[in-house]
Amino acid sequence: MDVDPAPAGRLAAAAHRLTEPLPPLLVAAERVANTVALGIHGRRRVGVGETFWQFRAYMPGDTIGRIDWRQTAKRDTPFVRELEWEASQTVHLWRADGPGMGYASARAAGSKRARADLLLMALAILLDRAGERVALLDGENPPATGRSNLMRLAAGLAAPIADRPHDLPTVRPRLPAHGAVVLAGDFLAPLPEIEAALAGLAARRQRVHVIHLLDPAELALPFRGRIRFHGLGRMAGTDTLIPRVDSVRPLYQERFEAHCAGLAALCRGLGFRLARHTTDQPVESALMGLAQGLAAR
Amino acid sequence: MTGWLAPLAFTAPWLLTALVLLPAIYWLLRVTPPAPRRLAFPPIRLLLGLENTEETPDRTPWWLLLLRLLVTALVILGLAGPILNPGERLGGTGPVLLVVDDGWASAAAWPERVRAATDIVDRAGREGRPVILLTTAPPAAGTPVAASDVLTAGEARARLEALDPKPWSTDRPAALAAARATAAAGPITAIWLSDGLAGEAAQALTTLLQRAGGLTLVNPDTGPLLLRSPEGDGRALVATVVRGPADTQTEAAVTLRLLAEDGRVLDRQDALFDAGARSARTRFDLPLEARNQAAAVRIEGITGAAATALMDERYRLRPVGVVVPETGDQVQPLLAPSFYLEQALAPFGAVTTAPLADLLDGGDQAAIALTDGPGLSEPARQRLTGWIEAGGVLIRFAGPLTAADPDPLMPVALRRGGRSLTGALSWAEPMPFDRFDPAGPFSDLTPPPEVRVSQQVLAEPSAELAGRTWARLIDGTPVVTARALGRGWLVLFHVTASPDWSDLPLSGLFVDMLRRTVALAEGVDSPAGGVALPPIVTLDGFGRLQEPGGTVRALPAEAGDAVLGPRTPPGLYGTADYRQAFNLGDMVEMPAAAFDPPAGVPVRGYAVAETVALGPWLLAVALALIALDTLIALGLRGRLVPAFGKRKPVAGMAALIVMLGAAGAIEPATAQSVPQIRAEERDLLAATGTYLAYVRTGNPDVDAMSQAGLDGLARVLTARSSVEAQGAFAVDPATDELAFYPLLYWPILPRQPDLSAAAVARLNAYMRGGGTIVFDTRDQPQGGFGGRGGPRGPAAERLIDVAGSLAVPPLVPVPPDHVLTKSFYLMQEFPGRFEGGDVWVQTADVAVNDGVSMVVIGAHDWASAWAMDAAGRPLRPVVPGGDRQREMAFRFGINLVMYTLTGNYKADQVHVPSILERLGQ
Repeated sequence: MDVDPAPAGRLAAAAHRLTEPLPPLLVAAERVANTVALGIHGRRRVGVGETFWQFRAYMPGDTIGRIDWRQTAKRDTPFVRELEWEASQTVHLWRADGPGMGYASARAAGSKRARADLLLMALAILLDRAGERVALLDGENPPATGRSNLMRLAAGLAAPIADRPHDLPTVRPRLPAHGAVVLAGDFLAPLPEIEAALAGLAARRQRVHVIHLLDPAELALPFRGRIRFHGLGRMAGTDTLIPRVDSVRPLYQERFEAHCAGLAALCRGLGFRLARHTTDQPVESALMGLAQGLAAR
Repeated sequence: MTGWLAPLAFTAPWLLTALVLLPAIYWLLRVTPPAPRRLAFPPIRLLLGLENTEETPDRTPWWLLLLRLLVTALVILGLAGPILNPGERLGGTGPVLLVVDDGWASAAAWPERVRAATDIVDRAGREGRPVILLTTAPPAAGTPVAASDVLTAGEARARLEALDPKPWSTDRPAALAAARATAAAGPITAIWLSDGLAGEAAQALTTLLQRAGGLTLVNPDTGPLLLRSPEGDGRALVATVVRGPADTQTEAAVTLRLLAEDGRVLDRQDALFDAGARSARTRFDLPLEARNQAAAVRIEGITGAAATALMDERYRLRPVGVVVPETGDQVQPLLAPSFYLEQALAPFGAVTTAPLADLLDGGDQAAIALTDGPGLSEPARQRLTGWIEAGGVLIRFAGPLTAADPDPLMPVALRRGGRSLTGALSWAEPMPFDRFDPAGPFSDLTPPPEVRVSQQVLAEPSAELAGRTWARLIDGTPVVTARALGRGWLVLFHVTASPDWSDLPLSGLFVDMLRRTVALAEGVDSPAGGVALPPIVTLDGFGRLQEPGGTVRALPAEAGDAVLGPRTPPGLYGTADYRQAFNLGDMVEMPAAAFDPPAGVPVRGYAVAETVALGPWLLAVALALIALDTLIALGLRGRLVPAFGKRKPVAGMAALIVMLGAAGAIEPATAQSVPQIRAEERDLLAATGTYLAYVRTGNPDVDAMSQAGLDGLARVLTARSSVEAQGAFAVDPATDELAFYPLLYWPILPRQPDLSAAAVARLNAYMRGGGTIVFDTRDQPQGGFGGRGGPRGPAAERLIDVAGSLAVPPLVPVPPDHVLTKSFYLMQEFPGRFEGGDVWVQTADVAVNDGVSMVVIGAHDWASAWAMDAAGRPLRPVVPGGDRQREMAFRFGINLVMYTLTGNYKADQVHVPSILERLGQ
């Protein structure tokens, strides 16, 4: 278990916040986030910030205002005080929606949507603690930090399906370049459609993390006997009668892996990171991987 | 429709035509595969096109098809109402005339007869034929014998159920007339359920019915038994049983019971019929106390008025008076003559000791014994003479006073003085008796040689002396002389009633001689002649005592005028002072010859093959198969495997359906159960707390009621007393340790099985060790433990048999001062769900375990009165009802537990003042 290196004051503030009436999702997400806490991190280089980084000798071109007079008075030559660069990132979160995301088999801990919400919310908390600005990719609010922003995020994730009917991400018109985007979804649409959707993000020079969120039953097809399957969401109205599910299981698994392989190839080509997460796995491991991936440059 | 399988018939055969639908059902089932499970699945796109990857059966498997066809066929067959052993067709045409003999001779096997009659009516119903019912005994209402109207089978069945055997004879001539009237209306098919007795008109009735359209005669295999009124023979009673003419060939034995008024069995004796003999006799030899309690004789195991003989006061022992002097100046009681007389008379007579005037004033002495005394006064002699002439027996004894001055009231003239055979101046030795005169009343006695007479009074020789002499000494001197006087006798013993003059009063011979003498007395007189006797209780056809119905008339005073019939059924008639038994056995005669039906009449026995309706069983099997089919269908749809299906309990639910279906079809409504607990846990709990216990009977309803009852009692105990009863446990006396429980409640069922040796040993040890077993036969409405000589309930009968193997002490009804009446509450009645009837405990002289009774026996169904649900509401109503009865039932339960826990504590005199205070005295 990681030890929280955050200062005691903020810990107390966090503890205080915990006592507030929070949306259930926020509470669960904070519980998860606490296990993966990273803290505010500097950029380990000179830049715009508040924290002292180094003193260096005055060089021609430096403005006079940057001279640290106290240090200069101690020495013979003038010194300039440099601060660490503390630029915050902008991270956009997106979660697929639609009836398919509500699917939960008996072996899963919950639906895919619930897992995605928890994962993204925990990530948002982590990012918020790190000072990053977070927003929903398809939301109305601009990226921001702070508690109220987290509340907005949680409300946005819980918004009715009708507002966000898409099972694939669409590019926001005012998406700033060079931001980070986290996409969580089952990506069961045909590969060309997925490629079209992701290509738009790539064009905006986003660093994209794709979480391929699946139910274990979708991977394994563990059913037996005579079953009439019917689709959800876009596939609603489609149904197929499988007389003996056992007999088609290898073929199905083969097809599914091919789809996953296609998705992986697509992401690799676009420079996206792809991680597969199933709802029977612990959420902490996925969060950890995601956080580390975001932190790495 | 039944030609291929004779003992099978259908109540609704047209339903069988539905069987032709089976091929259609087969086709429908074949083309309809089992419905698939529906499942939402997001990645369905990946599944599309995979359907036909393998050849899979989309049709119902052939064995499932077969199963479903079988279910359908079973349902059709079941609804068609198949019946096993329906019996052959009745034959003939027209309505079925069912002639039923319901006289006294039919009572013994009445249920069998009703079953046979019902069977015939059922058959008539199946063939759609109406039934005419003709019972041959006059109805109890006093109406004449007549055939019923034309009835449907259902109406006839209802009448049969209400039919009882009558405690009088059939009236065949009247039945013949009724049958003739019925036959005149058209052709009939007759069946005669006969009692097997050849009566008048039996042949004529047979011929008539045979000509009217055919007759089947149903004859019993064995004839009836007829019990005559018992006869007194000294102290013994002799009962005679007559059997039917058809049964006389073989040897047989019947058991007779001598019953007291409260139904207790005083004696049981076997009566043996020799081969060829029509009648059998048996003797009841009983001590005085038991003899005088006898109220009826019954043939064991046979019901009916003919198997019951009631006994009235005529059977009671003779009241005998012993005269003592009015002054009472007897200084030495053991030497007084009256003492020896009392001792000698007691075995066979009810002895009263009083002055002569009092005895005569009492007026009901059968015999009076008068010891030596001064001569009787003239008025006394006249009164005595009048009493003797009315039927009394005066037994006089000689002595010094008589010898000195004999009064005239003697059977023979006496010499003054008498003679002495001993003494200093005598040459003679005391002399023994001679053999008794074979014509006299002592003819069957043999005088023992050691009985000698040393002194006597002597009779004057006369012509009639020899005829009046009953006993002599070996030299021919009369010792006992007697003379008939009117309807009575005057008897003189020429010796004293004390051993002064002879050894006779010390010998058993004295008792026997007195017994034969007293037996000459006529005994109790009937009240003034010519008065008709009103009925007190009457016997019904089953031999049960009941209140006389409204149609019963008084019995004519003259015995010859009484006619057995609806007006005067057998029973007890008279008043509270004088009761006269009117027994069927004395009023009817067993025919001398067996009934021999004319040739050509088919005759069969009463035994009918049990008809079994197979329909419910077929439907039950079909239901079970449907449940099985459900399971198979679930299996085919993959629902039985609890892998990913969200509804895991499906398999359990299917199993539940199967079990419920099976249970519902075969054994409905025995869902109540008794909580189970492991024996060790139970023993531990019972050893550390106060628990009541009941014996598990195996009947779930009874066991549940016992549990609820004792639990309820435990709650009341805890609430009201310092007994903190925790609850109740079921035990099996054959296997469980009983020592933990203060009392063992044992509901007895009519089918209570016999106890195993282990159970007997444990129960005996339990009772010896201070335990109390509370037997509850729960059959007070059916008679309980009897009363007024009525029959006992079935469970009570069974309890008497079962308890025979246990070491049960002698029992009495709870006496008014018993500890049970005051151990916590003061009470005298012990109602449970039923009230009335006695509760029996052991007699007070059994000094074991502080006198706490080893058994408490009743028929009141206490547990049902105690039973309450969790909210304290009673589970069963009490009969006749009321909060007071329920409260008294609880009070009895508390008293009972207190009694078993505290023993005779409350019997201590220390408590008398406080009890008296509570009684408000």
